[in-house]
Amino acid sequence: MNIKGKLASLAIVLALVAPVMTFAAPTKVVEWWHIGTAANDKAMFQGFADAYMKLHSDVQINITVLENEAFKSKLTTVMQSGNPPDVFQTWGGGVLGEYAQAGLLRDISKETKDTAWGKSMAAGVWATYTVDGKIYAVPNDAGCITFWYNKDLLAKVGYKSFPTDWADFLTLVKKLKAAGITPISLAGNDKWPAMHMWSYIALRLGGASLFADTVSGKNKAGFNEATWVKAGTMLNELAALKPFQDGFLGATYNDEAALVGNGVAAMELMGQWAPNVQKDNSSSKAGLGDKLAAAPFPAIKGGKGKVTEVIGGGGGFALGKNASDAAVDFVKFLTNVENMTTWAKTSGILATTKGAEVGITDPNAKMVKALVDKCTFFQLYLDQAFPPAVGGAVNDAVQTILAGTATPTQACAAIQSAFVAK
Amino acid sequence: MRSMTRRNRLMAAIKYLVCAIMILVIAVPLYISVMGGLKSVGQLRAEPVSLPNPVNWNQYTDMLTGKNGSFWPKLVNSVVIGLGTVGVILIIGTFAGYALARIKFKLNGLIYAYFQLGLLFPLAVAILPLYLQLRSFHLLDSAIGVILPQAAFGLAMMLMLLRGFIKAIPLELEEAAAIDGYSRFGFLFRIVVPLSTPILATVSVLTLVSSWNNFFTPLLVFNSEKKYTLPMGVMNFMGEHAADWNLILAYLTLAMIPAVIIYVLCQKYIVAGLTGGAIKG
Amino acid sequence: MAKRSIPKGSLNRANFLTLAILLGPALILFTALVIVPVFEAAIFSFYKWNGFGPMVNFRGFQNYIQFFKDAIVHKALLHNLIIAVVSLVVELPIAMLLAVIVCDPKFKGAVFFRTFFFLPYVLSEVITGVLWQFIYHPQYGLVRAIWGLFAPIETAPTLMGNTTTLLWAILVVIIWKYFGFHMTIYIAGLQDIPREQIEAATIDGASSWQTFISVTLPGMRTSIQLSVFFAIIGSFQLFDIVWAMGKGDPVNAGETIVTYMYKIGLQRFNIGYGGTIAVCIFLICLFFNVFYQKILVREDD
Repeated sequence: MNIKGKLASLAIVLALVAPVMTFAAPTKVVEWWHIGTAANDKAMFQGFADAYMKLHSDVQINITVLENEAFKSKLTTVMQSGNPPDVFQTWGGGVLGEYAQAGLLRDISKETKDTAWGKSMAAGVWATYTVDGKIYAVPNDAGCITFWYNKDLLAKVGYKSFPTDWADFLTLVKKLKAAGITPISLAGNDKWPAMHMWSYIALRLGGASLFADTVSGKNKAGFNEATWVKAGTMLNELAALKPFQDGFLGATYNDEAALVGNGVAAMELMGQWAPNVQKDNSSSKAGLGDKLAAAPFPAIKGGKGKVTEVIGGGGGFALGKNASDAAVDFVKFLTNVENMTTWAKTSGILATTKGAEVGITDPNAKMVKALVDKCTFFQLYLDQAFPPAVGGAVNDAVQTILAGTATPTQACAAIQSAFVAK
Repeated sequence: MRSMTRRNRLMAAIKYLVCAIMILVIAVPLYISVMGGLKSVGQLRAEPVSLPNPVNWNQYTDMLTGKNGSFWPKLVNSVVIGLGTVGVILIIGTFAGYALARIKFKLNGLIYAYFQLGLLFPLAVAILPLYLQLRSFHLLDSAIGVILPQAAFGLAMMLMLLRGFIKAIPLELEEAAAIDGYSRFGFLFRIVVPLSTPILATVSVLTLVSSWNNFFTPLLVFNSEKKYTLPMGVMNFMGEHAADWNLILAYLTLAMIPAVIIYVLCQKYIVAGLTGGAIKG
Repeated sequence: MAKRSIPKGSLNRANFLTLAILLGPALILFTALVIVPVFEAAIFSFYKWNGFGPMVNFRGFQNYIQFFKDAIVHKALLHNLIIAVVSLVVELPIAMLLAVIVCDPKFKGAVFFRTFFFLPYVLSEVITGVLWQFIYHPQYGLVRAIWGLFAPIETAPTLMGNTTTLLWAILVVIIWKYFGFHMTIYIAGLQDIPREQIEAATIDGASSWQTFISVTLPGMRTSIQLSVFFAIIGSFQLFDIVWAMGKGDPVNAGETIVTYMYKIGLQRFNIGYGGTIAVCIFLICLFFNVFYQKILVREDD
């Protein structure tokens, strides 16, 4: 066919298609930003969007998918420009709070408080996404930080189960070390994994009241309070055993997960996503399988904290200030039981929607979920709970303790000064 | 005389040795990348330096056929944006460079200094206001929105090279052209532009390379994945294949190749242009 | 400088319209997308502002005072300075040596070497950073493998996880990537020196070192000035490579002033202070530029 012929046939096709297109032209556009760059996540999310557009021919969903770090850079700039996307990934807490206070989010209390949608999830999971009594985002994943350990490696040094007491935990670390096994894998460069270790020690030492009083400002000393400093000292005592892999200060979270997933390191302290990330990062793509188990952070003798007090968090989707009703409805669709079940099966999230638990099949994941469901105190990750200026300072401070460039007292003072400046 | 030649031979040997060492230093990381892309992840971890065995050609071919990642669309986007940036900078830069080199007017020195300010801050400094600016011009999620800022930030360097070069064109030529009845623009297009080909080629190559490598501007401007450029592709690919360093290295290699080809084809212009441009200014 | 090269004559006068056509587009583009954004950043710098909502919390020069007191700023600027100095005393001499070698017309393979040496410059910062991250990888990187050939592999250094080695690890990458650029500038300068001058000096019995000092170096003055300018300005604007190689961490051991600005402004939501850092980077570069142009470069004229 020559060019003229091609053009003519193109014109005919256009003439035929055009009326149909105008008829079905979508009128409502929903900008959706997510970070599911993994092939299965990306396909699943695209599937959700396609399914929704099929049901609602007047809605057009535009997806932006970015790697975690790139997403954060871009979202910040876009938010600061006052033009948020309609639906986007959030981890709640202090960052969401800053967005909400600047009027960048759509308040969805009306749609979620005391409605069927709101009640489709446990009441507690909404707290992370609530700012000044108003709800701005819908959770889809809620879990907590636990130790994830290799049963076989622990068995090698005579441990059939994970220590429930800190002193015993230190003994385990020494035995592993003596057996030539890297006891703990830690992503020192990413900072937040180490931060979790420090904050858990503090929680076991000071209990729920330490956290609540520091956050509320009731505790005048704030992070200068002796318990926080002691947590830093105890972290140093742990670090003195050299329990982490060589060069851990330069390691990223992917490196951390790979060491556990490949059976090199005995454990990591991580959130509910750990098994999946280990799997992705392991050479075999299978991870540890049955050899992997989860256990709560051990208790510390003489500490006020109980093992039922947890530090955790998860993810959700927030709604930008210009989000239409269609966008809200789309998020509702995303969090319905069927989709959340698929999601839990595909990505291993601890689905928040009641009934979607059937998608959670892994016994470890079930254990973590039970821990969250039955907890007596829930603290959002410290770096997320505060505005980024403070959260960042917490992460920095713990890194300086581990690198030995600051004493625990100096590190806690640095956190407190950021906390006060806010 | 004899000791002279012996010394010369020794000198030559030393020179080749130095060059060989530098070649090695440059080539080894590139070798690791190319070969790493052919290894299994297990082999890569166990023996990063050795030759791949077995050779996993499919890791490259899967990307080239679109089975894994999307290489070609991102390549096309990078090419479009690169050529667009070169086009814009050549047109406005040649005009401005000519004016600054050849026309005498009161503000000449001041305007040139004004453009030179562009050398004094990196793009990251003004990322948020730049974004606001692009939004108010309705340039988000469009290739133009990447092309214009890249051209704007490249202007300072372009003018620095071009002004010096044009100044070096003998004035008699311009006078002769005037006698022949050429207008100023006639002179610009028929004499200055052809004579400036080397420096324009240099500027084009440098602009193309920096556009090709830019990460932040496209990240800010583009929302839809089908518009992403190669450096963005690298970051997303890393997010997708966190620990599969063999695949990541394969993608890196593919993303490097076009820049290397362009460079090898155009390399002679880089030296030629720098010789005649800034140095003579 | 401008006056000298523009002699009097009707050709050099132009009406406003011609000037507007020639300079207008460049001026508009440059002003709208470079100057205006930077100017806006300068306005933020006087506020405490998280980037969201209206700017209301005017702080005067408080942010600037903080800048001078901030220990991480001191650390980052020190790193920038180290990078600049190492560029000058290590990178540029390497570039010069190679330029002299490959510029000898009798040296076979000169074009090949020249092409190859420039190659890293055309690779993107993102790709370079990722590639070197792998080379330095503590579990399966190249450095570890090479170390294993000579010493027990367990003792291999973890360059990016060690606060004393990180900056040097980054410096290696910087030199790797940019020496070819400086070499090319020198080649351009060398080609400008008349061959006869060098030959004349050789005939006079000067050794090649003496020839280099008395003829080559002075002849390359302009290109050396240019390369020093780029090396120093580039050191203070360094961002992408450091970001791709661990974001300047652990404990700011590789922090540069631009990575710190990026963290403050875009990660910690302290865009006011971020603006302050931006302005200070600009002022440092401007100060250097003026000093360099007026004192060092002008003296030669």
